[in-house]
Amino acid sequence: MAVNKKAAALGLAAVVALTSLAACGKGGNDSNGAASPSASPSESATPSDSASPSASPSASGSESDGGGTKLTGDFEIQYFVGGYGDKWWKKVIADFKAANPDLNVIEAGGPKINDQNKPRWIGGNPPDFVYIDGPNLNDRQMVEDGQLEDLTDWLKDAKNVDGDKILDILAQAPQQYDGKIYNIPLVLNSWGIFWNKALFKDKGWTEPANFDEFMQVSDKIKADGITPFIHTGKYPYYINGAFLYPAIVSNNNDDYTILQKMATNDIEAYKSPAVLAALNQIVALRDKGFIDKASIQINHTDSQMLFLQNKDAFIPNGLWLPNEMAKDVPQGFDFGFIPSITQKAGGKVVANTSTATVAVAKKAKNKEAAKAFLQFIFSKAQASQWAELSGAPSNIKGDISSSNAPNFVKDAAKYLTDPNTIVIPTITFNADVDKAMQDATDALTISKITPEEWVKRVTDVVAKVKQ
Amino acid sequence: MKPVSEKRQRNLFIGTFIIPTFVFFCIFTIYPVVQALYYSLFDWSGMSEHKTFIGLGNFKDMFKDPIVLRAIGNDYFLVVGKIVGIMIIATFFAVALTRFKFKLAGFFRSIFFIPNVISVVVIGVLWNFIYNPQIGFLNAFLSLFTEEKVDIAWLGFTSHTIWMLLPPAVWAGIGFYMILIIAAIQNIPDSFYEAAELEGAGQWRQFRSITVPLVWEQMKVSIINIMMTTLNGSFVIVWIMTEGGPDNSTQVMGSYLYQMAFRQYHFGFAAAIGVLILGLSLITTVVMQRLLRHETVELS
Repeated sequence: MAVNKKAAALGLAAVVALTSLAACGKGGNDSNGAASPSASPSESATPSDSASPSASPSASGSESDGGGTKLTGDFEIQYFVGGYGDKWWKKVIADFKAANPDLNVIEAGGPKINDQNKPRWIGGNPPDFVYIDGPNLNDRQMVEDGQLEDLTDWLKDAKNVDGDKILDILAQAPQQYDGKIYNIPLVLNSWGIFWNKALFKDKGWTEPANFDEFMQVSDKIKADGITPFIHTGKYPYYINGAFLYPAIVSNNNDDYTILQKMATNDIEAYKSPAVLAALNQIVALRDKGFIDKASIQINHTDSQMLFLQNKDAFIPNGLWLPNEMAKDVPQGFDFGFIPSITQKAGGKVVANTSTATVAVAKKAKNKEAAKAFLQFIFSKAQASQWAELSGAPSNIKGDISSSNAPNFVKDAAKYLTDPNTIVIPTITFNADVDKAMQDATDALTISKITPEEWVKRVTDVVAKVKQ
Repeated sequence: MKPVSEKRQRNLFIGTFIIPTFVFFCIFTIYPVVQALYYSLFDWSGMSEHKTFIGLGNFKDMFKDPIVLRAIGNDYFLVVGKIVGIMIIATFFAVALTRFKFKLAGFFRSIFFIPNVISVVVIGVLWNFIYNPQIGFLNAFLSLFTEEKVDIAWLGFTSHTIWMLLPPAVWAGIGFYMILIIAAIQNIPDSFYEAAELEGAGQWRQFRSITVPLVWEQMKVSIINIMMTTLNGSFVIVWIMTEGGPDNSTQVMGSYLYQMAFRQYHFGFAAAIGVLILGLSLITTVVMQRLLRHETVELS
């Protein structure tokens, strides 16, 4: 009897334990299934758009395209649908189809597409063209896994459909991995610090333009009973992206290559005095009691709500904030924005960009079409169309003031193309190092560690990753 | 001829029930476990076409990783905390609702059971609001008794934040085990208690000498079940409330597995954590069985 019960309990334990494992085994199952060209989820998405060839090729002359070679066969595009929506993708794909009537363009788009197509990437049967955005898709990881086509040579003198050299018209340069280029930034968004202009006017506070002014006004704000600074402790990449990284660049005489070196796991770069100085700026905020105590445990939505309720004066965030919170912005709330607040008086503003990139799969079956598509989308016409349809500035230099893009997008574009702004081109850190920096910054804001310990912790992880 | 076909028919009948279940069990349970074991031996990003065989490398790394050790500690902290919390409260409510007969017993029974009907995700979100330092219920309540507004970040301590996950976890679990014990208590004939009363035994004595021995079997099942569901399922409440933060202080094995597999692209390492969870669950179950061995008293 006792033996039976024991066996039964053991069995029960095993079943419960095993079912939890099933979740991680699933990816494995899929990978096996993918060896055979499984019915791809993309196909269902295809017909919807091909039905509207009437969309006249309004954008750009298609004749100059690709030097006359006719594109044929299948061409598959994977695009994630998130904050920027899919309006632009639908439009640009329709335009591209109209310009290349013999090409069968297959769309694989949606908010879950990264997961849906994962088995195909693992199985070596990826789509031709990929837009790298959203969860579970990391450009650095894809490069390390050897999944993206090396575009270095091609991009050197690639021209877009209008005959402009693509590299020349990009606002931020592509990230280089050991000197090679695999993906091109499509979006030009920026991290930065926000405040409510109306509240500042009301209370007679001055809007800060550098770190000294920021600290001074924060003193006043605190004296007036409002917490000066709130961030998103549950996702510390907000404070890292909008505060710490620009601070490191400012402290490094506006030379952003330090961040690029950090991204290549250069331990010496992490030990630079600029990093410590930047961390000490966070400590200055912390020790003055400027950081809202709620920050450490709340997510972005909660921190943004508290900011919109004027409970906190400053918030590190991205330029998508006004759009994201559009429904909850109270009457009279007026967004003030500066890409960085950590520069010295008279110093240049540093804009840490946030982007999403596009790339060609190494195992693409129609690389020619994929490259032609790159030439098609990196054009001025598509730039203003992107700004208009996605609500974010495009990574193509160009005047969008006459387009129908929302006002804050135009303002942001102005800021980011200003010659006095240091624009940090897109940087993706190794995922382990990124997480270590996020955890360490969180720990720093709650006085758990010192800046020196921050550096120690992160360099330990970097050393481990390098092995 | 006839007996054979009868036997065959019987076997066929049994087979129609057992075989489909067994097939599904193999496909959805055995196969994934074998896969997890297999992947735990590779260095694989979870996205790449290529995996590198590294033998037990992931397991070696695992025991050098301080976060894994903290996650194991947190898991067992939750196991012990939940067993103690849930068993004491559930037993108390069960006894109160059955032995001390009062009018609203049915009403309270439903009330206490409600958290079980709510999804853990909702419970996590709910308690996040309770713990919210600025607009949360807990600080607002405490502020009633203090001069200054209380602004404790309940989920943001430098360490021991895991304590804060215990109340929601216990609260969410009470109802089910309470019902289980209520059912057991209701099976005890009233005559036992009547006899005890005649002998002059008080409520406490009755509880210790009659109720506990006769519901011990259910309590044992409850304890083991709490242990198993916690080791395998505390992921949900952790992920909803803290995502393992701040600074990994609330990481449990399940949440670290997820973090590693899908955020940091170490699928092989995550599979190794999965194997660890499996191993620890089995070992703990055996140990608990031994510890809880107790003379079973059965009603004849």
